[in-house]
Amino acid sequence: MSDLQTSAVRHAGAAAVPDGWQPQIVALVCNWCTYTGADMAGTTRLEYPATVRMVRFPCTGRMSPLMILRAFEQGADGVLVSGCHPGDCHYVQGNLVARRRFTIFRSLMDFLGIDLRRLHFAWVSAAEGHKWARVVKDVSAAVTAAGPLPRPPAADGWEGPALPAAEGDGPEEISAADAEALRDHLRRTAAELLESGRAGVVIGHRRGSLPGRLVPVMAATAAECRELEWGEGALNNLVTYAATALQRAEKAALVVKACELHALTGLIREGQVARERLLLVGLQCPGVRPEGALAAKCLGCSGAPHPACDLLLTPAGVSEGGSGAAAPAADTDDARDRQIAAIESLPAGERWLYWQRQFARCLRCYACRAVCPLCYCSTCVADKHRPQWVPTTIDARGNGVWNVVRAMHLAGRCTGCDECARVCPADIRLDLINRKLALEVERHFGAAGLEPGEKAALVDFRMEDPEEFIL
Amino acid sequence: MDRTAWVLNETELRAWLQDLIAGERTVVAPVAEDGVVVYRPLAAAGQAVLEPRGKARWSPKEFLFPRTEALYSYSFKGDAVAITDPPRPERPQVLFGVRSCDAAGLARLDEIFLSGRTDPLYAARREATTVVTAGCAAADPECFCTAVGGSPVGEEAADLQLVPLDGGWLLRVLSGKGEALVGEAAAGWSAPPAESGERVAALEREVAAQIGRNPVPQEWAKVLEGGFASPSWDRLAAHCLGCSICAYVCPSCSCFDMNHEANAWCGEQCRSWDACTFVPFTLHASGHNPRATRGGRYRQRVLHKFAFTAEGEAHFRCVGCGRCVALCPAGLDISQIVTAAAAAIQEEGADAAR
Ligand code: SF4
Ligand code: SF4
Ligand code: SF4
Ligand code: SF4
Repeated sequence: MSDLQTSAVRHAGAAAVPDGWQPQIVALVCNWCTYTGADMAGTTRLEYPATVRMVRFPCTGRMSPLMILRAFEQGADGVLVSGCHPGDCHYVQGNLVARRRFTIFRSLMDFLGIDLRRLHFAWVSAAEGHKWARVVKDVSAAVTAAGPLPRPPAADGWEGPALPAAEGDGPEEISAADAEALRDHLRRTAAELLESGRAGVVIGHRRGSLPGRLVPVMAATAAECRELEWGEGALNNLVTYAATALQRAEKAALVVKACELHALTGLIREGQVARERLLLVGLQCPGVRPEGALAAKCLGCSGAPHPACDLLLTPAGVSEGGSGAAAPAADTDDARDRQIAAIESLPAGERWLYWQRQFARCLRCYACRAVCPLCYCSTCVADKHRPQWVPTTIDARGNGVWNVVRAMHLAGRCTGCDECARVCPADIRLDLINRKLALEVERHFGAAGLEPGEKAALVDFRMEDPEEFIL
Repeated sequence: MDRTAWVLNETELRAWLQDLIAGERTVVAPVAEDGVVVYRPLAAAGQAVLEPRGKARWSPKEFLFPRTEALYSYSFKGDAVAITDPPRPERPQVLFGVRSCDAAGLARLDEIFLSGRTDPLYAARREATTVVTAGCAAADPECFCTAVGGSPVGEEAADLQLVPLDGGWLLRVLSGKGEALVGEAAAGWSAPPAESGERVAALEREVAAQIGRNPVPQEWAKVLEGGFASPSWDRLAAHCLGCSICAYVCPSCSCFDMNHEANAWCGEQCRSWDACTFVPFTLHASGHNPRATRGGRYRQRVLHKFAFTAEGEAHFRCVGCGRCVALCPAGLDISQIVTAAAAAIQEEGADAAR
């Protein structure tokens, strides 16, 4: 019988490392190579530490970061993932896709302050019994040095790190007269689109009930078009409503800011919406101010409407767009990067405290998922319960798993609209996590493939992808 | 009840708070954590955010109705199964500096968990809890307590009440529990000014005047319920994104889900918050979902706040804190929606009668 305990039991245990303590390591291994290799080590009577509990999978490609997280959540001190060498996958490319996923996952765990001595990856073939024995020995030594998995820390009263303010210039201010002209163009254009039948519904913003706040509206009548608004309070990324609007009308017009266009590209690339059913209305943007101050994503943005939009609205007037021009490189010198760097400069233990306290606040309201234009799964993995991968408990068991899994599902797909961070009632810095992952994807696999014809980085692979961390 | 009152300056208030923390009670108060104000057990009086206005990001209900709690735990050894009850939550706690709307929310939770078959865990916590409210000297844009029968200096569910006055606080005893909490501490405190009752009433009028929303008439409960089948729900909820911010920040939402968190050797039966705006909330094992539409789910939320009541209750379950209004990602405003729904339903009724 295994002596794995539930995290609840373990966390109630003694803090000091008991004499003769041995780590418990969960090894996720593929059936074709590593499992057979381990078997070979056994039949060859090689000696290695009895610290590892194996879980057999068809392929490393089937292993999800979720499984690693659940192992930690259930009290494992370390996790080892092992499968066939590149080129030897029984399913041809499972391990190559997995390699990319684990590269990013490892970076994320490091960013969150997990001691990387607890997390290992290896290629062990069916013939490498000796390598398996050596890997288990090395991994056991590393996990032993890291010690028992610490219980969730109490960070009560901890002041937390001082992050540098996100600074920079936003788009040029739009004068009151220009703003009015822009709004008039918007209302008139919307009404014309409906009337001419170019669109059956216009997704835009209207005044909300709180001062300065605009809220989404799917306008389908001339009267609703007369209520359309535009300005600093237009916080919502309306791309989120595209699919809903297209259930109501054959064609929908969508008011978009330049920063939101990537999300739409993502949906088109992933086959979720058809470009020809959408009419994009790009407006000169004054930047958005979720809590008075200019949003970090707006620092460094010109606010100009994206040339790929079908109609371009500026105070000067309405013009036809639709140039296929690529999106401006929005990814340079992002204001959030300085905050990410500040977090990275903290010792791992403090990073862990920083993030664990935020995850502890998570209410599991799933608002981050609800607003995200790219969270469109009909049944989210967090809602699946046969088997139930994400604990429903709103505590350390479920929250960490949820927050990390969502970040991983968006890695290489997130377009940095920061909607999730804006709406999070617990003020969890989801924007920094997403941005960090975007940077990692770019660093390891080059530009993040955000064009319609490309594949998202984490469902793609190259034989020569980097793998320095793999044993 | 014989009302006792004092005026305390900031120093006296914090000194008393520090004494309470040093005692055998857990003292929960608003605290700024990573820049967001949430209710937390205090380690020191200085941590508490005690302002004449403003709310914590969400209500303090989790200290009576935790986000997640184990109803029992179990383990297997061979063929033997051991089942353990959770410890009875008996440690006395003080909820300090909660706004009147939040305290009213606790009264709504009491109606759910203490009427009919009493929930033992909730009851034990409630019994051990003393509530010290802090009245408001100003309303925020989303506040509408007065529109639903509340008041910025409401007394419901309060054992003691603080009211901001002249840069200090008026402290009033409202129950035996409150009196016991003050105990000997009052020895050095000053008596309140003679006209303090009048001052509180004036404050109440002043803040009420800042709240720009019309009172929701009690008769609308019947109207809304009668309009269950109205097509207006789909229209009014069209932009709802189906998260549960509204329910989880709400002082009076009380729904939960039951789930096993277990491995092959041991586990817990957990009760965790859940919400009517989630699709799986009403999903049957067969795959059928009786609340299949956004409109149907949002209607449940509105009706449970403004229409469905137990017999004999004559108040709304919404206490007007406005949190769901301020935090809704799509900007839905429950008070506006109630007004719009009642109007639409009445209109439909009139059309049908014609
Ligand atoms: S980043 Fe988006 S919201 Fe901000 S100014 Fe640019 S286009 Fe507008
Ligand atoms: S929005 Fe924030 S609190 Fe809600 S589930 Fe997402 S991370 Fe958690
Ligand atoms: S994960 Fe957040 S920032 Fe990224 S696309 Fe979704 S909502 Fe926008
Ligand atoms: S429904 Fe909204 S305004 Fe009413 S009590 Fe709940 S959170 Fe507050």
